[in-house]
Amino acid sequence: MSPDKNICLMTHMIAGYPNAGTDFEVARGLIDGGAGFLEVQFPFSDPSADGLPIQAACMAALNAGFRVKNGFELIKRIKSISDIPVFVMSYASVVYAKGVRPFVREAGRCGVEGLIIPDLMPGYDEGLFQIGAAEGVHIVPVVPPALSEARLSEILAQNPAYLYAALRVGITGSRTEIDETVFSSLARLRGTGKQVFAGFGIETRAQVISLAVHADVLIVGSEIVRAIAEAVKDGKQVYESVKRKVRSLLEDGATVETEKTE
Amino acid sequence: MKVYNDFFGPYGGRYVAEVLHGPLAELEEAYKAAIADNSFREELDRIRREYIGRPTPLLYAENATARIGGGRIYIKLEGLANTGAHKVNNVVGQALLARRMGKRRIIAETGAGQHGLAAAAVCARLGLECVVYMGEVDIDRQRPNVFWMELFGATVVPVGSGSRTLKDAVNEALRDWASSFTSTHYLLGSALGPSPYPDMVREFQSVIGRETRQQLEEAGVNAEALVACVGGGSNSIGFFSPFIEETTPRLVGVEAGGRGRGAGNHASRLSGEGRPGIVHGYKSLFLLDDDGQVLPTHSVSAGLDYPGVGPQLAALGEAGRIEFLTATDSEALAALKFFAATEGIVFALESAHAGAAGMKIARSWPKDRSVVINMSGRGDKDLFIAARELGAANWAEFLKAEAARCESR
Repeated sequence: MSPDKNICLMTHMIAGYPNAGTDFEVARGLIDGGAGFLEVQFPFSDPSADGLPIQAACMAALNAGFRVKNGFELIKRIKSISDIPVFVMSYASVVYAKGVRPFVREAGRCGVEGLIIPDLMPGYDEGLFQIGAAEGVHIVPVVPPALSEARLSEILAQNPAYLYAALRVGITGSRTEIDETVFSSLARLRGTGKQVFAGFGIETRAQVISLAVHADVLIVGSEIVRAIAEAVKDGKQVYESVKRKVRSLLEDGATVETEKTE
Repeated sequence: MKVYNDFFGPYGGRYVAEVLHGPLAELEEAYKAAIADNSFREELDRIRREYIGRPTPLLYAENATARIGGGRIYIKLEGLANTGAHKVNNVVGQALLARRMGKRRIIAETGAGQHGLAAAAVCARLGLECVVYMGEVDIDRQRPNVFWMELFGATVVPVGSGSRTLKDAVNEALRDWASSFTSTHYLLGSALGPSPYPDMVREFQSVIGRETRQQLEEAGVNAEALVACVGGGSNSIGFFSPFIEETTPRLVGVEAGGRGRGAGNHASRLSGEGRPGIVHGYKSLFLLDDDGQVLPTHSVSAGLDYPGVGPQLAALGEAGRIEFLTATDSEALAALKFFAATEGIVFALESAHAGAAGMKIARSWPKDRSVVINMSGRGDKDLFIAARELGAANWAEFLKAEAARCESR
């Protein structure tokens, strides 16, 4: 069965993880598995919006010597083999250290479609949204459920092309129960006319199916990172493992053997 | 001073994930309403008197002064506050606020354990649930405080991520709060983090400075310098608070000089290698590398090794109102010994950094000038570190025997 064309997945990966070089294999595996978008996280020492899988991966990448310039090199390399839209996710400290404008410019030069910086939000964005608009790099705000109308208006006033809908409050890394509340909060954001990415806690094919018609793009993050960690631990080829993982989210009955028992 | 500031000069702000903007706005509103409410202030005053034991004394350290032979040394004995440090001032304020907001669960981060200890104690007193996040490294070196926190009924959660110290405990508390804010108040322990914390914590700690000012006036002392240690900065900003919009006295913050210069050896932000950055929801000076990654720190005192500093202190430091010095691990230990021997007072290792700097200032001064050192905490919690570092006689033998007694129970 071929990958489900109705579902667009944005798969998350961490630059420098499991190491420099193999991160490119991860990207290839994600693309070949059928990802429609890539989200590449630049590791930060203190990822306070992330749960354990991503924390551990970021720490491993930093301990192995990850530098921000390696992240941009990775993206150039990805863009040299594919025209897949790439989004960079990181934290304010990493962007601010380089300077917001230089960071956005460098991202633009590398062909980055957009930036996801959860702790630089309107009102406290250090000019990120305005600079993104000027430099032609989309800034994607992460919008939690049940956000007040007033605050949503402030965010929409930045005229973002994409909204990243967090499917629940909290941090990454644990499964989200998909229910009517989730659908109604996605419907509200889709009502704005923006492209809606939905993420936080998507781990299974069943979740993907139930969310498919409610968002434009579904984000799978920690689950991919866990697949990489397992492949590394079991001495399996990372490229094949992530490719199978993406396939298993896009196709019925694919790759039962990579399903883990918990 | 304004009661609420989003920014202090270039520093401060609220750089958090959107999910926390709502809870912080709610907290800001509740805080502003509470401190304008007489009944809230009266209850706070009552608890300060009856539970914390305020006012804490201001001691003229005449033996220390005579031994040094320079300026007069006064010590604000803030460490006599119940639970052993200034931390309780802020905890009481925020815990009352949380109760007023209908939040029944308190989360807190702790480094040395003094903030966690105060939070656990006050939650026991007020009947609130308490969860304290503490880095594994800090648990190892401040085990006695873990014991007391658990005795007070708090749950102490070890944090094994990152450097396994205070900064990682802050991350973990933020992660908890991102999903628990409906029922939970994040009781942040220092004058840092996203607004309104820097203002709110300073305000609750400013009782130290107000009392000191009044005590100096009553004693007819014209203090020419106030000295306090600076980790995140809550004791110093509270101690300095009534004076920061005046030109005197000199306000001196003392950072951890650790083992010396170079990344990983110290925690000197203003007097050392700090640079502007955005971490833990606020902009300030941090120890960061070129990529914005938080650098490792070191101090003999668990309460001074935080890689950032409160935004108001950073702004006042750059504006020149507050001077920043460092004291090394060994200078702090020497000060601890000195004040124990001369005054019968045991400084916490954190506060001993202020003690060391205060001694230097007094030494350089004539006898008619006065300096006030804030002993933000007392050193009971540091028994094990101090005994080891100062080479207490037969200490290892005692510990072995004590371990044997524990095991044979």
